Amino acid sequence: MDGTTLISVAQVFLGIILLLVSLNLYLILRLKEIDPFGSWNPNKINAGLFMVFLVGGLIAAYASTQAWSEHLIFFQPAVSEHGLEIDRMMRNTMGIALFVTVLTNILLFYYAWRYQAKPGRKALYYPHNNRLEVVWTVVPAVVLTLLVFDGVGVWHNIMDEAPEDSIQIEVNGKQFDWTVRYPGADMEYGETHVSFIDEISTNTLGFNFEDKRGHDDLVVREIHVPVNKDVNMTIRSRDVLHSATLAHFRVKMDAVPGMPTSFHFKPLVTTAEMRQRTGNPDFNYEMSCQQICGGGHWNMRLVVVVESEAEYNAWIAQQQPFYAQWQEMNGANNTAEAQPEGASSDAVAIASIATAQ
Amino acid sequence: MSDATSHATTGAGTLSAVGHHDDHHGHHHGNFWTTYVFSTDHKVIAKQFLITGIIMAIIGIGMSTLFRLQLAFPDTSFAILEALLGKWAPDGKLDPNFYLSLVTMHGTFMVFFVLTAGLSGTFSNFLIPLQIGARDMASGFMNMLSYWFFFASSVIMVSSLFVETGPAGGGWTIYPPLSALPQAMPGSGMGMTLWLVAMTLFIASSLLGSINYITTVMNLRTQGMTFDRLPLTIWAFFLTAVIGVLSFPVLFSAALLLMFDRLLGTSFYLSDIFIGGELLHYQGGSPILFQHLFWFLGHPEVYIVLLPALGISSEVISVHARKPIFGYKAMIGSMVGIAFLSFIVWAHHMFVTGMNPFLGTVFMLFTLVIAVPSAIKAFNYITTLWKGNIRFTPPMLFAIGLVSLFITGGITGIFLGNAALDIPLHDTYFVTAHFHLVMGSASAFGLFAGVYHWFPKMFGRMMNKRLGYIHFWLTFTSLYLVFFPMHFMGLGGVARHYWSQSAFTFMEVFMPLQGFITIAAIIGFFGQFIFLYNFFSSIFIGKKASLNPWQANTLEWTTPRVPGHGNWPGDIPHVYRWPYDYSKPGVKEDYLPQHIPDAEIEYEEGFPKPATMPTPATPAQKPEVKEEAED
Repeated sequence: MDGTTLISVAQVFLGIILLLVSLNLYLILRLKEIDPFGSWNPNKINAGLFMVFLVGGLIAAYASTQAWSEHLIFFQPAVSEHGLEIDRMMRNTMGIALFVTVLTNILLFYYAWRYQAKPGRKALYYPHNNRLEVVWTVVPAVVLTLLVFDGVGVWHNIMDEAPEDSIQIEVNGKQFDWTVRYPGADMEYGETHVSFIDEISTNTLGFNFEDKRGHDDLVVREIHVPVNKDVNMTIRSRDVLHSATLAHFRVKMDAVPGMPTSFHFKPLVTTAEMRQRTGNPDFNYEMSCQQICGGGHWNMRLVVVVESEAEYNAWIAQQQPFYAQWQEMNGANNTAEAQPEGASSDAVAIASIATAQ
Repeated sequence: MSDATSHATTGAGTLSAVGHHDDHHGHHHGNFWTTYVFSTDHKVIAKQFLITGIIMAIIGIGMSTLFRLQLAFPDTSFAILEALLGKWAPDGKLDPNFYLSLVTMHGTFMVFFVLTAGLSGTFSNFLIPLQIGARDMASGFMNMLSYWFFFASSVIMVSSLFVETGPAGGGWTIYPPLSALPQAMPGSGMGMTLWLVAMTLFIASSLLGSINYITTVMNLRTQGMTFDRLPLTIWAFFLTAVIGVLSFPVLFSAALLLMFDRLLGTSFYLSDIFIGGELLHYQGGSPILFQHLFWFLGHPEVYIVLLPALGISSEVISVHARKPIFGYKAMIGSMVGIAFLSFIVWAHHMFVTGMNPFLGTVFMLFTLVIAVPSAIKAFNYITTLWKGNIRFTPPMLFAIGLVSLFITGGITGIFLGNAALDIPLHDTYFVTAHFHLVMGSASAFGLFAGVYHWFPKMFGRMMNKRLGYIHFWLTFTSLYLVFFPMHFMGLGGVARHYWSQSAFTFMEVFMPLQGFITIAAIIGFFGQFIFLYNFFSSIFIGKKASLNPWQANTLEWTTPRVPGHGNWPGDIPHVYRWPYDYSKPGVKEDYLPQHIPDAEIEYEEGFPKPATMPTPATPAQKPEVKEEAED
């Protein structure tokens, strides 16, 4: 349905409602004596409507779930190791939640319909029953205890220290984009701090170039990670809160200025496999920002590529360290011809965007 | 302050002096201003809160329909947006920054001004003195101050909509640094300052009100009105006030420190920031600190909003099902439990904000524990309906609807309260669906149920039932149609607060659903005009109400049709039993008001009175004893 159809549907609905309301108002105000609804029993009608609502609602809920389930990525298997654990808990919790919601709503609406007021009937005087109270205190308590135990275990595994040999990546949020840093061959990040940021010289991450560990750091605009390897993602922000969210991987952690955070995960499915699975040749994993951060919040997209280890290594080898690029940009030959080749032109493009900003 | 205190004592003094034989106090002494504007009468103040709340609700819900247009039809140009918003909607499309401002102000208006002040302010003020048998609040003057602080706060908050940089835009949770730095977004400029000023006044209003409610309930109950004979409404209002007194000051401190950061350059919440091309001087602060302080109020606030609605629905369901509320003591116990637990769960809003993961474990535990008292309440409501004799009046419809929304919306809390499951679901539409159903819709239904139920006592006239039915079915259906599909979007990973979903392929597929939701929301919005018409026209042309139109047990129905100042023209009635003796076996009517002495009860013919009923006229006797005698 496109916008115009929906709007005309809405107009029809609104028209009907207005008609009903004005009819009713007219009847109330002018024509009490020939009120066609006068003989209707509101108890019967409203109780009946509750049953209609219940049955209609359950059918609609089932049908809409069927219709949308293929788009619900939290119903599709996660593409990370811890994500599968989360999915398992999601299924258990969903089962319990559906059971309780459907059961209690059925009871609520059915009792409402069944025990509508009728002349001459009196309600049952039934003020309390301690045994029943105990039942519905203990049963939820036990179920929730099980959920908590499960949840605590999974939560601790996710939040545990990252394995030693993890691939290190650092995502840096700012209004309104992400920049990715790899520690390079020495496996160590160079020092960065907001006080070193110099946008004119493209040092948008705030490298302290006196720290030699940073000279081989890579700065790129895509996350590339090898499949089946632990990845430790450090998350930073230089201005306001952001939230690094990888929905398919069940990864989310806020970026907090002044306090680096981290999240580690192990990707299990490559982008290529996922393209086959979804039948969509343009499929990409995407990272979004899910902490309100200003006018461009909706547009902080970063592509995440999961590939084989060989492809990953090849991609890493193509990248030129940021320090070298920076030297070229700010050195003697600070001209357009100084553009390096290959994939790193990406980084230069970014740099020029940053300068423009 | 001392001035206020002295006035307050004078106010209380006047009240006790009014005392017993007060047939004609009130209207004679006041002119128009003191009777209707700067009134110290709790009933007038309640109506003032209600009317102001309704006005704020129209603005708040109206804003949501505006940004829903943008969400559903980002490419369509709406003349109405440009006409209403001018420069904020160039070419009839909402500006991204102003979209966030609208979302922020919608949340602020609805949570604080409608569902806190509009609900609690109206019904705590109106019902506490009437239901406990008091002439007025403990301090009428403080009560008046409470309203006028709220009024000033509302005026400032509404005026912030018109400042040049737009109203606050960092979300109703106003997380710094976004809310602290005017460079970060236009909404963090003047609009944010006004937001903080307005909230400060709001907190003052809430504290003045809450302290008054607590004092009144503790000290001014009529003879025989023990704590285990209080209607559940009063229990709910009392606990709400306690939560408010303990948590709102923390929000005040959070707001104050944020104000310092904004205006004086301190670094409570800010550190290491480079924004708008310049390095800021802030060092050593922590944005997480603000979140802790904010949610220390923010989570109890959910129950400040919800508990009054649950109290109202307990009363309404019992009255209209003609059946005692099932498990009166369990209901009180679960409300006390919820009130207590609400203080130790706040960090479940912060599982993925970089807080120490160990804290996540603790807060997950307490959060899921809250589901137990909530489950007790839900099951008790359902059991109250079982074998009842249900009269489907408009308040009853809303109360039943409330229970359904409370269950459907509350159950998703066990997903979000579980830290591991919160990782994917945090800040998606799943959260939006959850709290709009359980906190927004359920509480709004409490407000509606309360208005329909107590309108005859407020204005001496009945609201039109048939319009009430249409209003209920329209609202109930549209709420489910709006918020149920949001679960799908949340499970699809769609983020909240997105001006457009076009940037992400997995979000873009949900655009048709956004369209559907917007249509449903607009229908629901226009449905509310039925209520508005019904409310305002019934004040003047509604059918005159009888003294006890719902045949209820509580004390407010023993007052005159329109109670004057002091509530009861003669002595305050005494109380002889709990408020839920409906359909008591042997009793002639299907209700047994609290103020009827046992000796005056009319029994059914042929009912062997002395054999099963306890000896009459012992006011101290508790209802539980009678029940055991029957078992």
